[in-house]
Amino acid sequence: MRLFHVVALSALSAVSAPAQAQCTWTAKDAWVKRQAEFFDDSKHEWSNDSLRTALLEAAGLSAPLAAPVQHGVFVEGRAPAINAPAMLDRLKQLASTRGSVWPTRSVVGGAGTHAVYLLVRGDTGLARAALHRMMEAGPSESPAADVATLEDQLRLAWGRKQIYGTQKPSGADGRVILAPMEDSVHADLRREDAGLPPFRLGLCMAAKAR
Amino acid sequence: MTLRLFLVALACVPYVAAAQASTNVSFAKEVVGREPKSFAPMVGSWVMSSDAKDKVLFVDGRVWKRGQPAGGLADKARELYGARNEEFIESIKAFAYFPIAVYKGLDTFENGDITVRFQMLGGTLDRCAGILFNVKPNGDYLTVRYNGTEDNVVLWTFNKGVRKFVKRAPDAVPLELGTWHTLKVSVHGTALQSWLDGKPMVEYTLPEPVSGKIGVWSKTDSMIEFKDFTFTPAVK
Repeated sequence: MRLFHVVALSALSAVSAPAQAQCTWTAKDAWVKRQAEFFDDSKHEWSNDSLRTALLEAAGLSAPLAAPVQHGVFVEGRAPAINAPAMLDRLKQLASTRGSVWPTRSVVGGAGTHAVYLLVRGDTGLARAALHRMMEAGPSESPAADVATLEDQLRLAWGRKQIYGTQKPSGADGRVILAPMEDSVHADLRREDAGLPPFRLGLCMAAKAR
Repeated sequence: MTLRLFLVALACVPYVAAAQASTNVSFAKEVVGREPKSFAPMVGSWVMSSDAKDKVLFVDGRVWKRGQPAGGLADKARELYGARNEEFIESIKAFAYFPIAVYKGLDTFENGDITVRFQMLGGTLDRCAGILFNVKPNGDYLTVRYNGTEDNVVLWTFNKGVRKFVKRAPDAVPLELGTWHTLKVSVHGTALQSWLDGKPMVEYTLPEPVSGKIGVWSKTDSMIEFKDFTFTPAVK
């Protein structure tokens, strides 16, 4: 397991200009298709259009989203907070109210669910409640790639290791370092399940994003 | 005299369980990439896989689809329950959210221990590994399971397709993915105990003694490997 870390990081540090040229994806890749299917709002309906509009506005999103929406790469390791206090308060109230309708895809559409992810990830307490709601809602209602990325972020915040390899804080010298990870042997299995790019591609994308 | 005293003392003990030989379900003759022969997968995708040198039973939640039982359900139900298979099938379809594989080699488990080793590989929504027991011809069952997204061990009942929480172990136990762990259930009369890696978890007094088939359990998109499924029946 540890060996894999060394190999992966060696590969990352060895990413040169020609190698980066292969750091690409196409619309036919399974993980891109999976995200496109979830976030394509032309094929789904939602019940609360005013909440959706407010979420998109608060998160600075404009629909429709173009896949891949979620690369699962955070070089800085910390999610940037979005300054939308009114919407964050509204989400906090929803999260703390038993029986409340959480903004899932059938409520606010695919783009709306991604807006929720972008909003909550900067607030650990809210992110925890949101993750629970997203997991409960199931695969047709919650974006798996966002769920996975949020879980990694929270695990690190709780002092545990990430499991999808989405969090890659920059080192002091600016090099990309993979945050502690458990069971990296099966990382691609989990990433495939979550609709994230394969681990090596993710590392390549992280290096490119520096 | 001594013998008589011993017999009298024995008669006064309300429940004395004598352990029979343990059975460790061997995967040696199973074929990697195929469904297991020793277990009947009733819900979910269960295939033989390998971990290092060991053959393991893998429940693959990636292909999970809500409401879809395993292939060949009717044949498997007929093999397990004969003429009563239709009742079983109807109930299974009602809770197809939860993959189960029933062990074929034991008709009825009433008292004793059941142990299984498991390794969590993934699952975005759930990472659940459980011991299935008291599986009735009508599809009702009990399970003690570990959930890696909640870090806890819980006893659940399933009656007529409805899942009901019974009791949660008091301590949260975070487990690393890709590492092997041991879940154990012990049933004596109505007394149920469970352990995770040797640490006591759920203890509970059941409303009635168990009597049914046994197996392994999972949930939605969990990816779990199982091995060393062992049971030790006890007699009254």
